[in-house]
Amino acid sequence: MSAATIDRSAPPVDEANRVTRDAPWIFRTYAGHSSPRASNALYRANLDKGQTGLSIAFDLPTQCGYSSDAPIARPEVGKVGVPINTLDDFHLLFDGIPLERMNTSMTINGTAMWLLALYVALARERGVPEAALKGTTQNDIVKEYLARGTYIFPPEHSLRLVAETYEYCVDRLPDWNPSNICSYHLQEAGASPVQEVAFTLANAVGLLDLLKSRGKINDAQFARCVGRISFFVNAGIRFVEEMCKMRAFGALWDQVTRERYGIAEAKYRMFRYGVQVNSLGLTEAQPENNAWRILLEALGVTLSKNARCRALQLPTWNEAMSLPRPWDQQWSLRLQQILAYETDLLEYPDLFDGSPVVAAKTQTIVDGANAELARVLELGGVRAAIDSGYMKSALVQSMSARMARIGTGEQIVVGVNKWTEGLASPLVGGDDGGVFKNDPAAADDARAALAATIARRDPARVKAALDALVDAAKSGANLMEPSIECALARVSTGEWAGALRKVFGEYRATTGVDGASLSLDPARTAKLRERVAAFEAAHGRRPRLIVGKPGLDGHSNGAEVIAVAARHAGFDVVYAGIRLAPDEIAASAVEEDADLVGISVLSGSHVELTRELMEALNNAGAADMPVVVGGIIPKADHATLAALGVRRVFTPSDYQLVEVMEKIMDVIDGSATA
Amino acid sequence: MTAGWHVTVTWPEVAQAARAHQRRAVAKLVTQFEDPRPAAAAVRREVIAALDADGARLGRVIGLTGAPGAGKSSLVGALATAIVGDGGSLAVVAVDPSSPVSGGAFLGDRTRVRFPPDEPRLYFRSQPSRGALGGLAPSTFQVCRLLARLYATVIVETVGVGQSEIEVAAIADATFLVIAPHGGDEVQFMKAGIMEIPDGFVLSKDDLGAGAERAHAQLRAALRLSGAGPRPIFRTSAQRGAGITELAQAWAAIAPGGLTAREPAQFARWVADEHGRAAAARMNAAGGAAAYLAAHGGFDAAQLAFA
Repeated sequence: MSAATIDRSAPPVDEANRVTRDAPWIFRTYAGHSSPRASNALYRANLDKGQTGLSIAFDLPTQCGYSSDAPIARPEVGKVGVPINTLDDFHLLFDGIPLERMNTSMTINGTAMWLLALYVALARERGVPEAALKGTTQNDIVKEYLARGTYIFPPEHSLRLVAETYEYCVDRLPDWNPSNICSYHLQEAGASPVQEVAFTLANAVGLLDLLKSRGKINDAQFARCVGRISFFVNAGIRFVEEMCKMRAFGALWDQVTRERYGIAEAKYRMFRYGVQVNSLGLTEAQPENNAWRILLEALGVTLSKNARCRALQLPTWNEAMSLPRPWDQQWSLRLQQILAYETDLLEYPDLFDGSPVVAAKTQTIVDGANAELARVLELGGVRAAIDSGYMKSALVQSMSARMARIGTGEQIVVGVNKWTEGLASPLVGGDDGGVFKNDPAAADDARAALAATIARRDPARVKAALDALVDAAKSGANLMEPSIECALARVSTGEWAGALRKVFGEYRATTGVDGASLSLDPARTAKLRERVAAFEAAHGRRPRLIVGKPGLDGHSNGAEVIAVAARHAGFDVVYAGIRLAPDEIAASAVEEDADLVGISVLSGSHVELTRELMEALNNAGAADMPVVVGGIIPKADHATLAALGVRRVFTPSDYQLVEVMEKIMDVIDGSATA
Repeated sequence: MTAGWHVTVTWPEVAQAARAHQRRAVAKLVTQFEDPRPAAAAVRREVIAALDADGARLGRVIGLTGAPGAGKSSLVGALATAIVGDGGSLAVVAVDPSSPVSGGAFLGDRTRVRFPPDEPRLYFRSQPSRGALGGLAPSTFQVCRLLARLYATVIVETVGVGQSEIEVAAIADATFLVIAPHGGDEVQFMKAGIMEIPDGFVLSKDDLGAGAERAHAQLRAALRLSGAGPRPIFRTSAQRGAGITELAQAWAAIAPGGLTAREPAQFARWVADEHGRAAAARMNAAGGAAAYLAAHGGFDAAQLAFA
């Protein structure tokens, strides 16, 4: 080593020879439940515990554009997040929280413009300047079509709403990230790192191309829009590869913004990203192991200074069992604090610069992603890839492949397909079984608050605001200002979305199952097909399943994998789709003369939705039709579902698809009469 | 004979309930009309006799065919609203392909058609193709015989996998080819020589501006070139609801009841299929194809022996 070489292994020091530390990332916890008041109390408690930003979880009706009093909303109010009906709810939600000093992230997509309008309206009523608002609306509609399912309108109208939030924010809310391009859900749906990077960049390119082609902003504004694009990334358990993925993301984004858009300012080309580490890999079996998984996944996005996240939210150890309790969230927050403040991580420059292993791995991802990105752009870009089902099919296939790898034991999941014997976990031994219990009265509160606001508001102002919204929707004028006026007039979430539904129409998804293949155990599959053939010989038809998702939760890939597996086993599967009212599923099951009804629920509303389905089947004279339920269903609820008449409950621990099919065949064989 | 799913109910009683559009009853009957086993024909005879004795009239059967993504299902959804709004009743049979590997089927048409769950005048049934080519299932005709006695209009939506799906024209009173503006479908259909078969065309997704205009011009040109006489072209947008009323009105003018006249051709087809199945069973009883070939000394000798 020559004398001139700086010793880069030592931590940087200031003039007083004290070790300097980098500022940590923003600590967030994805939170919200029951009611605005209960969520506000939770946020204030979390901020007191040292959380440095807010990450708001909205309930599914709010995400899908329904007020709490809509029939399809009823079982879902306050379940996976906080219900927001009117601006009065936002006043409660942010009570005592200074907007001008907060960095607020909202996981909201189909109704992102509406929630942003509510936030701006709240600032106006509080006298906070709009320019002081900092935060992010997720607002990534593309991945909703691909994986998450809370879209409302057809793509061209949804994309218009996204573009208009950028055009509104670029001068007025310069520190707001109007959207957060999500790679998170692509990995959750099974994407490989290369697919994840490529599809995400294709998504961002689609958005920037759209902003350019609309011609509503000049070049300087466009450059600032590029600078405001942020990303929401997943970090999985293969944490070395994940770290390289983040470095690849940064390199590629720099390249795309420079080469495709000619952005000169380096600060606008920065790959700015927040992270939620992987929830999909968390297991219901031996749930305490998830604490280690979360820690390792956090390392992937924090170890490398040059590829470190801007904000981090960690799931909780019990997410595969239920929604988290406040204590679970605190435990995850403490992990971040220990990592940032107890360890020496933030004292060093990048630890991996110069590592040939990291450089080579990163380059592999860069090259693969460049090739895949070129392919998607050649196919016509991200819009065409949605319309054609190309990406959706790729993801469902990846998901099927992942399930197959776990099923065959090729991919080890500790406690699930290896080392499954373990001592009982004391963590689930408490009175609550280690799971969160929702307050059933919360939904009543939400509806009562909505009714009170409707009684108080000025109907003439409401009507004028909605009329102006519809006019702008038809004329093509920017919808932000009319939406803010709707918010100020106390228009409700359902009214705002309902008015736009009338103009834009509603989107119905294509399925992604075409071409999906599975590798189920061949011997067991053959046996199962023999049982199917015997059924056909006895009944003159193949066993007929109807699979659907009641309620508003749109994570459809699991249900689709089940449908593919059933076809593979030789069943006739009617796929009813997602976002269905229970009576729609019942009517379809009756029309199709199904031998079995399978529903999938991940939102925590399984008891209410199952009860409604059973009532609807009973009313249709089909009380004898067997029903099975799959989803994230706490053990404590299994007996409740059985008492409602459910024949079988499947949870994430039923990862062996062939076994699921065998059990379904058992139910059918046990109940078929004619 | 009893209907089985409820021991005290006879098939004529189920037929009675189906006449009143009780969905569970209709669905149970459709299952009987899909059943390939010979004994099911006895049930069907009983049901048809009961319906006819009750004064059931045959409705019209309309075939809807076109390439995947042409917009058939969305069109059906929009038309259902229009037809029921005019006081009519409608049954839809949507055929999807069965897997050649497992024999199972993924029937996904319901995801694109959303009927109000409490509207008894609408009925939707998914049907696996059971390996049949031509876009229909072996039992589609039989199911139409039933549904046309229960609903004023029956739509048969074909599989939609290619350009050879013209078999529906052999069972429908009128057949429409649905074409999306961007597919270049008309060229493919012309190449396949089937432009002359449909009774009309539906240019769907007519909200894509210039692309739709171009497609319309190309379709008219293709029709002229085919030399098979002028047929109506309907331009629709299921999303905006445009053109749907016109199409529904045109359909209302189609004379119903042609199904009976098609029975001889369909029976001939059934005999051919049944005979094929019976012969295959005979071969399997003789040890299967490989054994048969070995026993008779090669491909040609085996053919001679089997005939």
